[in-house]
Amino acid sequence: MNEQVYAFTLKNTLNEIRKVCPGVSNTFIFEEDGKIIAKDENTDEETINRTVGAFNALTERAKTIGGLESATFHDANGQVNINCIEDFYLATITSKEADEKYVNTLSRVLVPTVLKLIDKINPAPIDSATPATLEPEPAGDDDVGKFIGGAEEREEELPVEETDLTKPEPELIEEESDSEVNPEPLLPEPPVNQFIVENLGGLVIPSDAVRVGTAVIVQWKNLYSDKKIEEVDVETLNGKTTRCRFKPIKDSKHEGKGIIQIPQKIQRTLQTTKGELVMVKPVVK
Amino acid sequence: MVKKKKSVQETGTTLVFAEETVVSAVEEDQTFTSLCTNLAEINKRKGVIGYILRNATSATIDLKDPTKLVEYAMLSSQALDSGKEISELFDLGDIENVIIEGRDIKALCISIGENKVAVFMERDADHADILRRVLP
Repeated sequence: MNEQVYAFTLKNTLNEIRKVCPGVSNTFIFEEDGKIIAKDENTDEETINRTVGAFNALTERAKTIGGLESATFHDANGQVNINCIEDFYLATITSKEADEKYVNTLSRVLVPTVLKLIDKINPAPIDSATPATLEPEPAGDDDVGKFIGGAEEREEELPVEETDLTKPEPELIEEESDSEVNPEPLLPEPPVNQFIVENLGGLVIPSDAVRVGTAVIVQWKNLYSDKKIEEVDVETLNGKTTRCRFKPIKDSKHEGKGIIQIPQKIQRTLQTTKGELVMVKPVVK
Repeated sequence: MVKKKKSVQETGTTLVFAEETVVSAVEEDQTFTSLCTNLAEINKRKGVIGYILRNATSATIDLKDPTKLVEYAMLSSQALDSGKEISELFDLGDIENVIIEGRDIKALCISIGENKVAVFMERDADHADILRRVLP
């Protein structure tokens, strides 16, 4: 995934969260190694770096509880919430007056959705085909602010990078010759679909298979025409995942409504229930 | 305690501070005892897997898995330390409590004056209810 696209989109998302929730004073996203992925206009890098330092000290100690998924610090005048979202941590700082549930719902749904959307719009082949030599790399963590700040201006440059691919530089030719050693073609990154959970039950219903819309299955098959897709990975917003078989939804009235039918057994495994959001990715073999 | 208070009155102004210290120590002791009682009750609740209560002079620990004692103690201590550091960075005032959710279990760490409380529970336990019961 192109980091500029991530930074630009996430920065805007964070600013929107602040606009929608007046109680939110600061938001930022960072990686475990401390790299700042995005931040709102209100937060300076020094503060983020120190927050990450304090948080990482806690992460170290949290191995005993299976690793840290989230931490909420309630203070006299507000609260700090840090949530693990995929490979990132989203930090949200709110005042005492902020509606905690609203802020949590917004940040826990909006940011993962945006991340998924970026992945979908800008799928992996573009990323893997984009040689590092064609993209100006930020000099280091100190330049992240400039990098993020410049993302907006450089937005128009992004398509140019793709046209540049037609004129490979020497490094690119070398990469291509390397790839000849391994004739395996690059597969597109499996698309991630979001669905609302629906119950699936009945006497003859297998408890180890979920049901997704036919259109989605067709889309997967078109994408990987010569590959086998027999299973899917289902992931909840809380990070619970499971791999299971899938079948098309039988009832046409549920078709195209963005739902996934999940048997109770799998719902229990995922700790999810009807009406909640899950991400589904095909397992390509 | 009454005897100590008397000696404070006899020895003059410099010991007024000592009197406050004595009163404060008594209050802290009462808080500690009260927390002990509350936590013993909380520990019987479904999903709660133990607690640690400590202050500068005493500690009460009850964990279902005692082998985790050192790790849990360090985790709860770090949670409040990190919380304090972060709250100072964002000017949010004194740290009141921290909720840490791990993949397996979660912990509720509370700072009450000199007393530090940590309650460990399963992920689906209601930490908000437990917080209310710790501080009735």
